[in-house]
Amino acid sequence: MTALEELTKPADTLTNPHIERWKEKDGKVIGYYCTYVPEEIIHAAGMLPYRMRATGSTNSELGDLYASHLTCTFCRHSLDQAMRGEYKFLDGLVALFSCDHIRRMFDAWRYGKIDLPHSPFYLRCLSVPFKVDAPAVEWMAGELDRFRRSLEDHFQVTITNEALRQSIKTCNEKRRLLRSLYELRKKEAPPVTGAEALAIVIAGSSMPVEEFNQLLKQMLGELEGRDGFSDYRARLLLAGGELENPAYIRLIEELGGLVVTDFLCFGVRDFWDLVEEDSEPIAALAKRYIQRVSCPRMIDHPRRDKFVRDLVKEFKVDGVIIQRLKFCDNWGCEGTMTQWEAKKDGIPCMMLEREYLMSAVGQMRTRVQAFLETIRR
Amino acid sequence: MTEKAEKYKLHRGLYDLLKGITQPGMMKMMADWLGAVFSAVDEGKPILFNQFTVFSELMVALDIVPLPPELWQSSQLNVDANACCESIDAAEEAGIHPELCSANKAIIGDIMLDKIPPPSMVVLPTFPCDNSKITYQAVAHLTGAPTYFLDCPYWMDEGEAMDYWVNQYKGLISFLEKHSEKKLDYDRLKEVAEESNRCLDYWLEGLELLKLKPLPLNGPFASGYLAGLTALGTPAATEAVKASLDELRSRVDKGETAVPEEKTRVIWFYYPVFWDAGLGDWMAQMGAVTASGLVGYFNVEPIDTSTPESTIRGLARRALDTPMGRQGRGASDLWIDDCLRAVEEWKGDCVILAGHPGCKWLMGCYGLFRDIARERGIPVLLWDVDLFDPRPCSGEESRARIEPFLNTIMAR
Repeated sequence: MTALEELTKPADTLTNPHIERWKEKDGKVIGYYCTYVPEEIIHAAGMLPYRMRATGSTNSELGDLYASHLTCTFCRHSLDQAMRGEYKFLDGLVALFSCDHIRRMFDAWRYGKIDLPHSPFYLRCLSVPFKVDAPAVEWMAGELDRFRRSLEDHFQVTITNEALRQSIKTCNEKRRLLRSLYELRKKEAPPVTGAEALAIVIAGSSMPVEEFNQLLKQMLGELEGRDGFSDYRARLLLAGGELENPAYIRLIEELGGLVVTDFLCFGVRDFWDLVEEDSEPIAALAKRYIQRVSCPRMIDHPRRDKFVRDLVKEFKVDGVIIQRLKFCDNWGCEGTMTQWEAKKDGIPCMMLEREYLMSAVGQMRTRVQAFLETIRR
Repeated sequence: MTEKAEKYKLHRGLYDLLKGITQPGMMKMMADWLGAVFSAVDEGKPILFNQFTVFSELMVALDIVPLPPELWQSSQLNVDANACCESIDAAEEAGIHPELCSANKAIIGDIMLDKIPPPSMVVLPTFPCDNSKITYQAVAHLTGAPTYFLDCPYWMDEGEAMDYWVNQYKGLISFLEKHSEKKLDYDRLKEVAEESNRCLDYWLEGLELLKLKPLPLNGPFASGYLAGLTALGTPAATEAVKASLDELRSRVDKGETAVPEEKTRVIWFYYPVFWDAGLGDWMAQMGAVTASGLVGYFNVEPIDTSTPESTIRGLARRALDTPMGRQGRGASDLWIDDCLRAVEEWKGDCVILAGHPGCKWLMGCYGLFRDIARERGIPVLLWDVDLFDPRPCSGEESRARIEPFLNTIMAR
């Protein structure tokens, strides 16, 4: 199996052999719902940070007991998975007020509506600021210190500054490698598809980071001998919130659009910015996580807008597709503002609403086809 | 009609209807607020958008005219139930997703259609919801108005979290000073805070009187909230809330009750259906009185005005507890606990919730609340109705949902 094949497999399932091996060695796994949770602190505690997905869910009838009909379907499916015991490989869960949907789903965990694998199960909701200024960074540093201490207390471990520094280096290496992968996507004939890239980023939060880094290095070597994709009709940037299904991008790419970059949380927002390695580690983490390229939960629209424009130029993007889970208010308004700006700049831009499970595929195909027609590259 | 008078004509019409009122109370308070807004528009004075959880004391102290956009929306619904529809449609046509809170869509649409006076400044906290945070980023994008967000920690405590919040409030003062080009006079702020305390005393006494059974007057004690958004800290607002309280006291003294026979007491722990003002009276005709609602609910301590620091801290603390702000800023517990408290203290027999489709944070509490309500034997009705738009669920449809629910309870 090539490294690329190995790295694109974890996205297909909730857990995978890497996690199973980790658990066999009595390793702890901590789930987290949002890229604003610093994986370095979990890693420095000797645990495996796992970004939550609902992969494999086919319905949400149990989740619907506590999620409302206005809750996005990712949260409904994830809650359903939790209530069915599909996350029993977890030893703890960390969330934050990412959005109204996530915070209410987390409340169902807090209120004991989930069949937990352990008692006491580690549950924490971080108080992450919405602003990106210096006081917010300072608050975040305090919050991360509290997070660190709560992990230490619950699991009876010590998280030293030295361990944090090492974890920062390891996670930064992951980020650098992913950026190297994205650099390749700037080529006229990128060696990976958007669907593959999404799967690779997902793998980065679904296995021990050291194993991921090794595989990613190997894969970057393999890609040197791979023919690039050049038979596309348009180079696309895919923006939006939660997206964990490479098949969604595959559908776009089957129609001739090649996703060459993204503005996704399983994407550039997760890894674009590095953590300073020579500073006090908690302060460095706080700065990075608050001032990184932001998601629309943050009060930071102008900077996001500029970042997307820059991506469009750097990756020679012909058109932007914004995918949005129905009921997501953050991406509803943010996506519309992106459309307004793209129109001013003459960049073709389209918003696609979707549900967690692939549905209305025919309608989506028609819309993507029509969008690609308008680009007329 | 001049061009200026033609603009905002629905609100100007409402103002014309109300401006002759001299008797203190909610109607006069509304007239005074609209009058201040139109004076500012006509004279080119700055207007501040204060989101619906931001009370007015700092604006009063700095003599800045507050314009809560959500109040702008809801007030016009008293004149025309469909008044928000054009702006809601305009926002959707511009690409805004239909599931956004209709009040927020109407604000965006109003700005696009020039149906709301443009703001010179915008202020809001990061609660209660995603709708608000992202809508006001769009408002900033559309208007270019400087915008200040009060960043609220998710878990509040008396230590670092409160300190962070108080510093946010101090940042707001600097923001207002900078953009109004005025300097805050702390003696004036002390006066305003003390006036606010007096007003709050009346408000809280009003809430207490609504605990009486049978209920002396139907509906939540809403005048304090209107004061909070438009003029809290002015003697006029205090006088208006006192007038509402005096009416209530007088009814209690005379033994007057909201309905001849009180059959059931409703806790309406959300906002009312703004375009359906007759709904509460219709319920009352069935013998179902509304003893408590989110609009009137307030649970605060007086502001300690002994020093500028204590005054600011008191105002900041109070800003955490405004209706819906208090319940929406953190975990589900905040809304659930307050709703249960309302049921207990206001002696509710049931809870009715208007399921506003934009309100994901509150609807997300419902499943947990339903379990607790079942355990405690509290009947709950939730149905989908848009508070700012009568098209998704009409008044007749709402009544068709409420009537059998109330009949079942009253037959017990």
